[in-house]
Amino acid sequence: MAFLLRWWGRYAGSFLLAALVLTSAWILRETNGAAIRELYRLLNLPFQGSVEDQQTLIQARTWQLEQQLAAVRAENQRLRQLLKAPMLPNWEGSIVPVIGRSSDQWWRSLLLGAGSRQGLTIGSVVVGNGGLVGRITSITPNTSRVMLLTDPASRVGVVVGRTRQMGILRGQLNQQVIVEFLEKDPKVQPKDVLYTSALSSLYPAGIPVGEVQSVELSDPTRPHATVILGAPIDRLEWVTVIPYAEPTDTFTAN
Amino acid sequence: MLNRQTHLQRTSLNWLIIIGSVGLCALLTFIPLPNLRLLVPDWFLIWVVVWSVKRAWRQGLLAGIALGWIQDGLVAAHPSHAVSLALVGVLTALMQKQRFVSEDFISVALITFAMAIVQQTVIAIQMSLVSGFPLEEIWQHHRQVALGSAIMSSLWAPLIYAPLNRWWTWLQEQG
Repeated sequence: MAFLLRWWGRYAGSFLLAALVLTSAWILRETNGAAIRELYRLLNLPFQGSVEDQQTLIQARTWQLEQQLAAVRAENQRLRQLLKAPMLPNWEGSIVPVIGRSSDQWWRSLLLGAGSRQGLTIGSVVVGNGGLVGRITSITPNTSRVMLLTDPASRVGVVVGRTRQMGILRGQLNQQVIVEFLEKDPKVQPKDVLYTSALSSLYPAGIPVGEVQSVELSDPTRPHATVILGAPIDRLEWVTVIPYAEPTDTFTAN
Repeated sequence: MLNRQTHLQRTSLNWLIIIGSVGLCALLTFIPLPNLRLLVPDWFLIWVVVWSVKRAWRQGLLAGIALGWIQDGLVAAHPSHAVSLALVGVLTALMQKQRFVSEDFISVALITFAMAIVQQTVIAIQMSLVSGFPLEEIWQHHRQVALGSAIMSSLWAPLIYAPLNRWWTWLQEQG
């Protein structure tokens, strides 16, 4: 007994320390090293998320999604062939830089850094990340001018995705975009998504345009809704230009 | 002979500077200012004011129409910008004759401020007559852009005025 007490007296500190170490190690083992991982993350924060790394990751993700989309699209084509349903239009286009903006107070247009020499034509449809942007109204060998959806002269036939309600999207002088409905009681509510309609002659059908922000039905002669465009038109740096031939000659000069 | 040659050189250099400065103004209109869509200086208006401030009203009219047509080509031709810019050129030239204001940076900035409002008002009237937009919408927009354009244009006007005025003054002194 006396021996044990003496042993304890001499080694108590070491023993407790060893027990503490082992217990901690065990806890770490059982929690899969949670504390260490959390600490590592904390220490790593200043080095995390540099823009280049994120870009690489986003590119990889984009590539993955593109491949998935291609697979799904091919499958869709096959199924449509089997069902003898009409094929979806192909929206492959060329990617073109935005090099300027008109600073006029009344009209709104973009200047693209590619023109007829790159194969663009008047009437080509311009789409940005997020949705429709506008259409090309004037072209030179190496530049083209895009009439934006926010331009007061712009008119686009649109359809509400949820209810298939038809409307006309038009730009306003005060930068806003509204959609006017022909019916007095349009079945539309905020957050409804708008697509170009099949009746629009200047644009292919089914391109996403934007989202309804608020519905204004107080004026019965002009039921309309304010629209948030899907594409951030003020911040676009690259757009996709889709060749599109007008079926009819309804284009008015601007 | 020598005199005639230097005169020819000066005249051609003068034209080069005129065309170059108009070209510069045209290029400047494409530079985007993020989040400042309503606060953009009207470079063509500034040039017309700078040109007309020491000239006869016919020259102001000519410059206004020419630059208005160039602007039509760059932006949109209906309604034409030439009407408003021609009026601006004429008014600026006439204002100088009546000696209301002396010719320095401040007065050029003030003239530009007034002329920007005149120009936007003329465009708004044109829009009311031909565009078919609701009048209320047009004039509400006019209130916003007239002030924004006037402030920005008058702030940037000295930048165009200083070198051009210096050159034209020098040219006149050389006779």
